Amino acid sequence: MLDESAPIFSQVAEQLADQIADGGLAEGERVPSSNELAAYYRINPATAAKGINVLTDEGVLEKRRGIGMFVAAGARQRLLDERRKRFTERYIEPMVAEAGRLGIDAEALVELVRAYGHTQGGVTV
Amino acid sequence: MNMCLKVVRYHLAQRVMYVAAPWAALAFVFAVNLIIAAVTAPSQDPTKALAVIYVCFFALGILSIGRSLPFGLALGVSRRSYYAGTALFAVALAAADGLALTLLQALERATGRGWGVHLGFFRVSYIFAGPWYLTWLTSFTGLALLFVYGMWFGIVYRRWDIFGLLAFLAAQVTVVLVGAAWHSIGHFFTALSAAGLTGVLAALAAVLLAGGFATIRRITV
Amino acid sequence: MTPAISVAGLTRRYRGQLALDDVTFDIEGASITGLLGRNGAGKTTLLRIIAAQEFASAGRVRVLGASPVQSDAIAGRVVLIREDQTFPELRVCQVLRVASLFYPNWSAELAEALLADFDLPPNRRVRKLSRGMRSAVGMVIGLAARAEVTLFDEPYAGLDPVARQIFYDRLLADYAVHPRTVLISTHLIDEIAGLLERMVVIDRGAIVLDAAADDLRGSVTSVRGPALAVQEFAAGRHTCGRRQLASQESVVVIGALAALDLARARALRLSLEPLSLQQVVIHAAGRPETDVRDRTSA
Repeated sequence: MLDESAPIFSQVAEQLADQIADGGLAEGERVPSSNELAAYYRINPATAAKGINVLTDEGVLEKRRGIGMFVAAGARQRLLDERRKRFTERYIEPMVAEAGRLGIDAEALVELVRAYGHTQGGVTV
Repeated sequence: MNMCLKVVRYHLAQRVMYVAAPWAALAFVFAVNLIIAAVTAPSQDPTKALAVIYVCFFALGILSIGRSLPFGLALGVSRRSYYAGTALFAVALAAADGLALTLLQALERATGRGWGVHLGFFRVSYIFAGPWYLTWLTSFTGLALLFVYGMWFGIVYRRWDIFGLLAFLAAQVTVVLVGAAWHSIGHFFTALSAAGLTGVLAALAAVLLAGGFATIRRITV
Repeated sequence: MTPAISVAGLTRRYRGQLALDDVTFDIEGASITGLLGRNGAGKTTLLRIIAAQEFASAGRVRVLGASPVQSDAIAGRVVLIREDQTFPELRVCQVLRVASLFYPNWSAELAEALLADFDLPPNRRVRKLSRGMRSAVGMVIGLAARAEVTLFDEPYAGLDPVARQIFYDRLLADYAVHPRTVLISTHLIDEIAGLLERMVVIDRGAIVLDAAADDLRGSVTSVRGPALAVQEFAAGRHTCGRRQLASQESVVVIGALAALDLARARALRLSLEPLSLQQVVIHAAGRPETDVRDRTSA
């Protein structure tokens, strides 16, 4: 579930954000408490709380006093917007770099992406 | 004080060892003596086998430190409380067992000819021959003394291992030899009454108690 | 706030041998800290001194604001069941009853549940138990005591992975409801890494690393690739564990890598692999033969 690449708190935040972006956690829905997250991931509750705080600071989660943490209104859209912005850096860059290493030119690369999209049925490029 | 009582309760968890073992040993020795007395010619000499319970108390003193102290300290008990609680337990146990010995002595007297076979088991001339309260006081002091003595042995062994124990024994032998060489000490003891002897034993027990305390203060587990 | 554990300049000498050498650290309030290091590094000695089972040669130790060796200062508030704990001649249930006498926060229900979890026979004599089961008894006491300062010394010697997982889960669950200061010495770093807020690594009696566990995660990276490229990338960084095979080289780079570094590594066609906390500790305390510590940093 978690790996060594980054601090645990940011991985927890990332995974919660993923669920919100996917719609698994709907806006207005209660998110697991830090103790629930700690038990699930087998991590320190303080670390889990830090992960939640990251999302609170970004306005993705909001605190309702005495009840818990909830997904803020508009959080999903904001996460999707941000992810689109980071798409190039996260996916295109390494792909182009590897393509260059293998001698695949831009035309061929686009063609590969298009062909893959067809086999998946959903994405058309 | 509260912590001392908890230590007493800790020892009581091992009551089978502390209460039953000495009496089982004594009962066995008594039974053997009873049989011997029954089949041999009557003799009014005390058997001196009563010493077995004192030996048991010495062993219990050692055991009250040996395996029990490390676990006590693991639970956060201070050395001082552990020592005080164990000493308190020793005194209470000696008082109770001393009383039982006194009762048995009274019983031995009441059976007339010593359990019907002229057995002098709980009556020992000179030491255990006076009124009941003196018998109780002397048994109590003697049992407590040996328990406390055993505790000190246990502490010395834990702190300095076998070499410390040997040095400890050597020191005691030296004290006894020096004492024996000093002439008037023999006079002192022979002139002593049973009550006086009890007083000396009590004083000795106090010295041993202080020695054990001084040794346990820097013990490590 | 008074730190739960405060150690300053702590030194312990055994016949000229330094078991602890000027150790200084504080642990504030509720937290779970890992005490890591090789065998004989001084972990047990440190825990024993904090629990007043041993005395310091020099330095100052305060537990919950008081000197632990002061009479009953830590009674009922500190627990340390050691890996090689000597138990009295008692049955498992009796040992637990004795322990419950000394801890005002003792939870009989938790002890009961743990007993069942670990399949401990309550009527068996503790000294007759296997090594692993004896370790389990120590865990039960350490957890059920709910002591403000809970010290574990290699708590799971001889225990199987299933039992260890039970211990982690139970520790976490109980800690969430009853936070306390937990200090736990262990070799199994990767297993417990997620539970730790902080890691203190001790080697030859001295602290060689003391950091928030999450800060260390991702801060040590193994860099592998063509030797020239690796050397170019590693120049000016703290590195260790350099190894070479033909034209390939690998080196461990210490310090988190920024986005720019990642881009540069990609350009140099290097493969990066973050090291696990276990490996971080090995590099902090291990002094491997291949260690060629590069101190060329600006």
